[in-house]
Amino acid sequence: MNVFKYLNILNFLKKREIKKAVFVLCAAAVLLSCGIGTGFRITAKAGEPDPDKTIVLRVSNWEEYIDEGDWDEEETIELPDADIIGENSVIEDFEDWYYETYGRKVRVEYSTFGTNEDLYNMLTLGDEFDLVCPSEYLIMKLMAEQELVPLSESFFDESDENNYYIKGVSPYIRNIFETQEIGGEPWSKYAAGYMWGVTGFVYNPEVISEEEASTWKILSDPAYRRQITIKDNVRDSYFAAVGAIKSDLLLSDEFRNDPDYKKNLEREMNDTSPEMIAQVQEYLQNVKDNVYSFETDAGKADMITGKVVCNYQWSGDGVYTLDQADEDDFELAFTVPEESTNIYFDGWVMLKRGIGDDSAKQHAAEAFINFNSRPDITIRNMYYIGYTSVLSGGDDPLIFEYAEYNYAAEEDEEESDEEAVDEEAAEDVVEEAAEEDEEESEETEEVSEGTEEESGGDEAEDTIDYDVSYFFGGEDGTYVITADADAMHRQLFSAYPTREVLGRSSVMIYFTQEQNAAINRMWVNVRCFNIHHVPVWAWILILALIAGAVFAAVKIKRRFHGVG
Amino acid sequence: MHFSRKSLGIPYAVFLLVFVVLPLLVLVFYAFTNGQGQFTISNFTGFFTDPNTLGTLFYSLLLAAVTTAVCLTLAYPTAYILGTSKLKSRSVIVMLFVLPMWINFSLRITALKEILTILEGNLAMYPFLNAVIGMTYDFLPFMILPLYTTISRLDGALTEAAMDLGADRTRTFLEVVLPLSLPGILSGVSMVFLPAMTNYVVLDMLYNSTYIMGSLIGSYFSAYDWHGGSMISLILLALICIFTLLTGGSEETARGGALL
Repeated sequence: MNVFKYLNILNFLKKREIKKAVFVLCAAAVLLSCGIGTGFRITAKAGEPDPDKTIVLRVSNWEEYIDEGDWDEEETIELPDADIIGENSVIEDFEDWYYETYGRKVRVEYSTFGTNEDLYNMLTLGDEFDLVCPSEYLIMKLMAEQELVPLSESFFDESDENNYYIKGVSPYIRNIFETQEIGGEPWSKYAAGYMWGVTGFVYNPEVISEEEASTWKILSDPAYRRQITIKDNVRDSYFAAVGAIKSDLLLSDEFRNDPDYKKNLEREMNDTSPEMIAQVQEYLQNVKDNVYSFETDAGKADMITGKVVCNYQWSGDGVYTLDQADEDDFELAFTVPEESTNIYFDGWVMLKRGIGDDSAKQHAAEAFINFNSRPDITIRNMYYIGYTSVLSGGDDPLIFEYAEYNYAAEEDEEESDEEAVDEEAAEDVVEEAAEEDEEESEETEEVSEGTEEESGGDEAEDTIDYDVSYFFGGEDGTYVITADADAMHRQLFSAYPTREVLGRSSVMIYFTQEQNAAINRMWVNVRCFNIHHVPVWAWILILALIAGAVFAAVKIKRRFHGVG
Repeated sequence: MHFSRKSLGIPYAVFLLVFVVLPLLVLVFYAFTNGQGQFTISNFTGFFTDPNTLGTLFYSLLLAAVTTAVCLTLAYPTAYILGTSKLKSRSVIVMLFVLPMWINFSLRITALKEILTILEGNLAMYPFLNAVIGMTYDFLPFMILPLYTTISRLDGALTEAAMDLGADRTRTFLEVVLPLSLPGILSGVSMVFLPAMTNYVVLDMLYNSTYIMGSLIGSYFSAYDWHGGSMISLILLALICIFTLLTGGSEETARGGALL
């Protein structure tokens, strides 16, 4: 297993570090290719679309952010209502599905990007895409810059059976997308969600208590000097710093019990006043001297290998880290700071420059979103990526079944031998019941509940009821996962945080150009060595060294001339 | 069909034009304009008035200087022993020094990270040291090779002559061998010093979170500030030119000396 882990790490390195390096080194070359590109760009859009012509859909998405198929037989996800396996890539399946459903050929030109900033730079440089999947703040920026094509009315028609997105999007997420606004327009007009999550800490429960890890202030806690990693990007770091600085305010009862709590919270967490930026700078300078590293990808590996004890992480990657550690029998946990957490989304948006007024293309783009929202495809993507989809499936039970499949307590493992025997017997009963009884699923549930009670006894507190109704829709108690008792700080919690945690989440808005400039300046100040910190003796030493070198050079030169 | 010898150079000329000259012009354009496309020198003055950019330049120079010094200290004795030895297999030994360069860069640094973790316990306690070790690890072959080449071509008769004329070993080394190996030292130094100023991937991977010139430029570009980023690239380019001219200039003198 170690070998795989190692390879995995290498993969990260290859992807991010080198990409970054190549980006910087070739920035100039890219600038150029844009210049030339404009000259050569073929005007493919000319003329009315011919129904027999293949539609070309240019999609750009995060790296490794869609199922690429080619699963092994054993990977099949067996759910009560369906077996799910990815044979071909989702892209290929989409092309086939589109032809079968709408009778037109579509070809997806799929490409990937590494960061939102990379994507934005590509767009500025003139790369044309029809459909892209950035994070919420870039979506907001693109909305504000009026670069997006609104989703068509038919996309929201729930009576169309192929409109998997609108039929299946979680009511919780849908509400956020309909209430968050830019320039008076809701996100939902332009954007369809893809994956989502919150920010928090992966921590090693043997070293750090949950309570300690539940505040942003741990980043500057000298007790864990050089043992915690923080994200190497300005937005995430800014959010954490604001959370830590305003900790007392955010945790005060007065603030918490205010009727406008949520609104106030978002205002406080998005505070970009000059005083706040100055405080954040000071705080992050302390953090820089206190943390193990600013990391882009290495944090997961460092957490698993035990180099650090706490890792600022996005919940999706948190699940991944916990899973990987589990394979090494190393138990990690995930928690969300009490002050507030940043709820984030990646979503599909259509670009004006790509789609134009080509309705056939727009149709294909929306169909692409819908296809990726089909419950079985959603599950394939979630399985492949490890993040949580914004889809709950609506009337379709598959996605909830998948959540249970992943996170429901397993009764046939991790129990003593005696109980395991009981368990087998119980399973036999289940099988018989399944054969005999029409209502097999209900019967199974009853039996397994019975088993739990039987085997319970000394381990009565083994499981908890984890309510995810807020996400899957319905009254509290409608969608409950019976999970292991530790689910509250394990994968289930990372994948579907509790309603209580989401109650103190805030969306981090996009910043205006001036705010961005000020914050980026702050970030450079944090990361750069300040020349005023060079002590006088160092200057004298340096001058002496330079003088010595010059003297030596002159002397050597003289000697040669003398000899020559 | 007939080609003149000159036309053989066309592919390279085209390559140079497309991938070096034109991007450079674009770089200059961005460096001297602002967001509105108007001419400005504020990017330039901004660099030299900001304590953080100057600090980064200082830090990069310091890191590069220390790395170069360490490389030279390690490489010179090695190259000297190898270059002057009568071993038949010495080219094989030199090969051994170059061998690590065949392994993927990020793989090497990842391995180094593990080694350093074992040695230091907590890697993050010594960011500057780690950066120096990482850079040295990475660039040492670039220092050894030119030194070895120069020293192994050194005419043994000259050292013998010096000894015959009464110079002791130290004096022979200081006044004959060292000056004669100067071209090797200079090309080694420039091959280590310049990349060490910008190779921030080593710092990133070894958890030194202070920016050097490379990462500073990167941060400007990812903050969409192409103008500032281009200006820093240009200033760096100018520094490299000056450095090359300086070492190149004395290299010729040194070569002249070596020819004697």
